[in-house]
Amino acid sequence: MKIGIAAAVVVAVLLYPLVLRGPYPQHLMILVLLNALLGTAWNILGGFAGQISLGQATFFGAGAYTSTLLFQHAGVSPWVGLVAGAALAAALALAIGYPCFRLSGHYFAIATIAIGEIAGIAVTNWEFAGGAVGLFLPVEGEGMGAFKFGDKLGYYYVVAAFLALSVALAAWLRRGRAGYYWRAIREDQAAARSVGVPALRYKQLAIAISAALTAMAGTFYAQYLLFIDPPSVLPLSLSIQICLVAVLGGAGTLVGPLLGAAVLVPLSAATSVALGGSGRSLDLVVYGALIMVIAVFEPSGLVGIARRVRRRISAQR
Amino acid sequence: MSRRLALTLAVLAVSLVSSRAPAAPPAEVVIGAVYPLSGNLAKVGNDIKDAIELAAELVNDDVDIPVPLGKGRGLPNLGGARVRVVFADHQSSPEKGLSEAERLISQEKVVAVMGSYNSNVTATASQAAERLKTPFLNADSTSPLLTSRGFRWFFRTTPTDDEFSENFFKFLGEMKKRGKTIKSVALFYENTLFGTDVSKFEKKYAQQYGYPIVADVAYDAKSTNLNAEIQRLKAASPDVLLQASYTNDAILSTKTMKELDFRPQAILAMDAGHVSSEYVPSLGKDAESVLSREVWALGLGAKKPIVRQVNELFRKKTQAARGQPIDMDGTSARAFVGMLVLADAINRAGSTDAEKIRAALESTDLPGDSLIMPWRGVKFDPKTHQNTLGSGILVQIQDGKYVVVYPFDLAAAEVRWPLATWGK
Repeated sequence: MKIGIAAAVVVAVLLYPLVLRGPYPQHLMILVLLNALLGTAWNILGGFAGQISLGQATFFGAGAYTSTLLFQHAGVSPWVGLVAGAALAAALALAIGYPCFRLSGHYFAIATIAIGEIAGIAVTNWEFAGGAVGLFLPVEGEGMGAFKFGDKLGYYYVVAAFLALSVALAAWLRRGRAGYYWRAIREDQAAARSVGVPALRYKQLAIAISAALTAMAGTFYAQYLLFIDPPSVLPLSLSIQICLVAVLGGAGTLVGPLLGAAVLVPLSAATSVALGGSGRSLDLVVYGALIMVIAVFEPSGLVGIARRVRRRISAQR
Repeated sequence: MSRRLALTLAVLAVSLVSSRAPAAPPAEVVIGAVYPLSGNLAKVGNDIKDAIELAAELVNDDVDIPVPLGKGRGLPNLGGARVRVVFADHQSSPEKGLSEAERLISQEKVVAVMGSYNSNVTATASQAAERLKTPFLNADSTSPLLTSRGFRWFFRTTPTDDEFSENFFKFLGEMKKRGKTIKSVALFYENTLFGTDVSKFEKKYAQQYGYPIVADVAYDAKSTNLNAEIQRLKAASPDVLLQASYTNDAILSTKTMKELDFRPQAILAMDAGHVSSEYVPSLGKDAESVLSREVWALGLGAKKPIVRQVNELFRKKTQAARGQPIDMDGTSARAFVGMLVLADAINRAGSTDAEKIRAALESTDLPGDSLIMPWRGVKFDPKTHQNTLGSGILVQIQDGKYVVVYPFDLAAAEVRWPLATWGK
């Protein structure tokens, strides 16, 4: 049953851009997949290991800037840049994690906000990285090798593949030893340590993997938009949206971030299409209100709602 | 026999196809507009929206105002087709700008796109248009980078920050000739694309024209406190302050300058916030004598009656749409003209075909007297597609009104120099 649903979703995702051919529906779905990828990456750290990060944009920006700068200054292929960006983000994450994991609970979340803001300000004032002006990538020279496509299809399948990779990685980690250790740390860190769980090391593992996956998404974003500047890849609002996707979907579960992205992105687009042109900011109000409704009525997210619906159906049988 | 039948069928088929090809012209031509309609630029975005709608109304209705396409209904070369504008909100996000431009082009089937005020959003939105081979007209982003990308489908009517910045220093030179002592300048600018780009040109020209920069202060336009920044400026005590700000931060900075009693001889602002319709009403007397570069001022009406006529209509339009009459400013005037330039090109193309509209834009040649601008006209550079006939003016807030003071031959009043003490 579960495998059947999963297979159906995969087939639907693969066929989607072939059925809906316009650039806008394809763009929307690319955003859904990108957000699902970011949510999944956040979930490894925030959901599995219980370390709430509100600074994921730092890693996203690291990926975007690393590949773009390497391409601009050394002509390095963005694919190599992607790996370099992921490695840099992981290293950065370890450097952040080492002092910050000494903080517990809300204090860790606050520290990650501060780090994200510092990164944004630093890059804004960094001439070499384009400063506030940002960096343009040339539009010409399309192809798989250049990580640049004339239409949306190429981007679509690349981000779908990234998402598949990260979901598989998350599933594998969750089932293994790391998954059990993370759960133990999340529920009660002191208790976990008392039975011999190396808490710091496993938290470091979680943040490094999360950062590397987020950086991959960052490189993808830079190649997709061909323009990056601090307000678009390093804002606090991005960090919060990433967290929102996972939490609203259902933190700690595999499908949560996927469900969150599949609902949030179209919701934001629909409210903005329906009401955005009016110039009264109504779309943002409606969007915010809908998020509040979900958060108030089902704190365990969309996954919780889905479970409740399923239970009710089986009870009626 | 069968041969003749085939021939008849072929002729019939051809006549069917060809009778459809030059078909009745469309009843309406749809143009997309991607602007910041929410968030902290909502006010500017809505001014632009009303201005573009007004321009479309003048095209669609038979009006006796000498703007392009004012006479007669609709676009004459398309059988009087009406112009309809579909707006989209980009929330100042480059990603939203890209996706909204794509949506307008592919879903709403717009024949051309206008946008997007913020230079960084214009960068991505115009890229979407470039990929989808749709003309993109930019009337209000002044980052010189935008026309240096070699795009085929991107056109810009407004002069760039490079030209405007140089204008400042030419003006300072004139003031020196009139006996003012101007020894130093300070730079104060918001730290995104707009402000930092401006500062680069100001640095370049300050050096070229020989004015030492005694302070160079960048700040975040969203910040709610500018005390530290203004303190630094005050400590440097420059003769002239060159400022580039958006609306809220322009107001906040002026208030802070008053609190901390920072008063250089003159403030030369890079339009944007300092010429938004909120600046003077929120500050009253404290806004007096601030100078700003501008592409437009109500005062141009003294020499160009068309400016007054259009502004009257704009006041009526904003009264109806938002319950209070609003005067045009540099941003809404540029959007208004941008829309007319686009409509003129579509009309000359005589078609909604993208390539034909693009070619028509390239051969645009509008004379200055049909525009509400101080420009000599609109004519695009064949390579960069930058308007080559644009030029800037300087305005000064005198008794609550923006008055043209430079160039001196277009001036409606004398420059007030130096700034009076606060509250006087």
